[in-house]
Amino acid sequence: MGAVPLTTQLGDENRAPGRPATRARRRWGLAWRHSGLLALAAVLVAPGMWMVSASLMTQAEVLSGAILPAVPQWRNYVDIFDRFPFGVFFRNSVLVTGSVVLLNLLFCSMAGYALAKFNFLGKRLVFAFILTTIMIPFTVIAIPLYLVVHQLGWINSYQGLVAPFAVSAFGIFLMRQFMASIRDEYLDAARVDGAGELRIFFVIVLPLARPALMTLAILVFITNWDEFFWPLIAATSDEYRTLPVGLAKLQEAGTSSSTQWHLIMAGATIAVLPIFVLFLAFRRQFMQATSGLAGLNE
Amino acid sequence: MHVLQRQLRLDHKSRTGLLFAAPAVAFFGVLYVFPVAFAGFISLQDWNLLNPPRWVGLANYEKLLADTQFANSALVTMQYTVGTVVPIWVISLGLALMMNRSFRGWNGYMTLFLVPAVVSLTVWSIVWSMIYHPSFGLLQAILSPIGLGGIRWLDDPQLAMPALIILSIVKGTPVYMLIFLAGLRGIPPDYYDAASLDGAGSVARFRHITMPLLKPVTLYVMVYSIVIAFQVITPAFILTGGGPGSATRVIPLFVYDQAFKFLRMGYAAAASLEVLAALLLITLVLFRLFGRDPRA
Repeated sequence: MGAVPLTTQLGDENRAPGRPATRARRRWGLAWRHSGLLALAAVLVAPGMWMVSASLMTQAEVLSGAILPAVPQWRNYVDIFDRFPFGVFFRNSVLVTGSVVLLNLLFCSMAGYALAKFNFLGKRLVFAFILTTIMIPFTVIAIPLYLVVHQLGWINSYQGLVAPFAVSAFGIFLMRQFMASIRDEYLDAARVDGAGELRIFFVIVLPLARPALMTLAILVFITNWDEFFWPLIAATSDEYRTLPVGLAKLQEAGTSSSTQWHLIMAGATIAVLPIFVLFLAFRRQFMQATSGLAGLNE
Repeated sequence: MHVLQRQLRLDHKSRTGLLFAAPAVAFFGVLYVFPVAFAGFISLQDWNLLNPPRWVGLANYEKLLADTQFANSALVTMQYTVGTVVPIWVISLGLALMMNRSFRGWNGYMTLFLVPAVVSLTVWSIVWSMIYHPSFGLLQAILSPIGLGGIRWLDDPQLAMPALIILSIVKGTPVYMLIFLAGLRGIPPDYYDAASLDGAGSVARFRHITMPLLKPVTLYVMVYSIVIAFQVITPAFILTGGGPGSATRVIPLFVYDQAFKFLRMGYAAAASLEVLAALLLITLVLFRLFGRDPRA
């Protein structure tokens, strides 16, 4: 699946394979395109907008089927922390996702570097081996993985939540692709100067790979921030639950009339916020990461 | 002498390469390859985690083939997969074609389109469970003025699956649009210019330039959207829990229930291996049908 055009430039205005058209035709075309695009945009944006809107309503407003709050209830964003262990969920998500990102940055770049810059016995085998793991759906290994983690006594532990995601095959490909573009002369010059291989890796290779590391970090962050299935089975106490599972449990906890939708929506909005900030700040990397991401988790 | 030196250096280099690759290889060995083999082993046992596992041979697979609940889950997964991926292919390709030119507002539209990609699937599912609510949901607010109020989306066995499908289409479209767009960007504009000079209309250009050159990307989208649809669990878990009845009990939910509700580890492992087999088969067929031909 190396054909994923990760390096293709996305996110800037692009050239148009157009043909000359008369002014009237062009204007009609424009009107058509914009109405089509606007309609689609409305459908794609509405759920998110409504989530934010409902997060600012009172419970009575939610139950009355209001679209917008009469007065924004900012208190909901405090209440969610007071009434539920939401702060714990958030902290767990930050700790788990943060660790997963750091481990991926280290291990994927090491493996990518090895595959791009060294010849060793069994390299092709290693490469094929990693490639096949992409094809294994997580649901298939979830049960044996659970049993392994269970045996280790890692159910309800941070290790147990982090370990299965510490390396991603896709991350290795991304790093390998980028490492291949680093010029051998830099590395050889450092070797002639007597630098050790670890030093070369940390002092020369990693700084050069910064753009790829950035994309990898975003990719790993957005996949793992959303991980649902594994924490659902690997963390059974609130103390180790992450945001997605925590929120789902909150929603499940009440029957539909007593469910505090306004608070859950406030929690949901907070859960989306980090990714939204990443998206606004690093739009191009975000788009590259997301379009490569489809192959990873759900 | 020189030859010897070079060989020594190669050895040093090859050792270094192996050491750099080692953590990742060990990781995949322990956490991916071993579990698959282990799943095969467990699937031949009767094991509820409490008592020691008991060897039952192929009994789990035989039971699985006769299990009407599993047959139902397979059917439900097929419905979900076909219902989700086909519209996603069409809509996301259409959207990518519309976005593959420059016009005023391009950046604004792109930002709006990507909102579902920013919202995580769990949050998305929770929000949609509210959207579908028959008394205060957003859909109720939209549909009741046109006389379609009070639809119980998630309680109706006929509507629960379409409800899951709709939410998945809206969620998945932006990501696949980006992939298609990246593929479209890879087509050299000269091809279109040359075709236009030869008098090819937009339909002809799409058929003879865009479609063949987009084939690898299309294959990628098809395989991965199917692989992902086959693994869907989050929306079903959150919106319907597999119900009403078993109308939305997709295979991963079946596996989850067997493993963690009924503690039938061997049975669940057998079911998940059948999913793996089915996925490999589908992938092979797709590669055969649409595999890269030398011209593309």
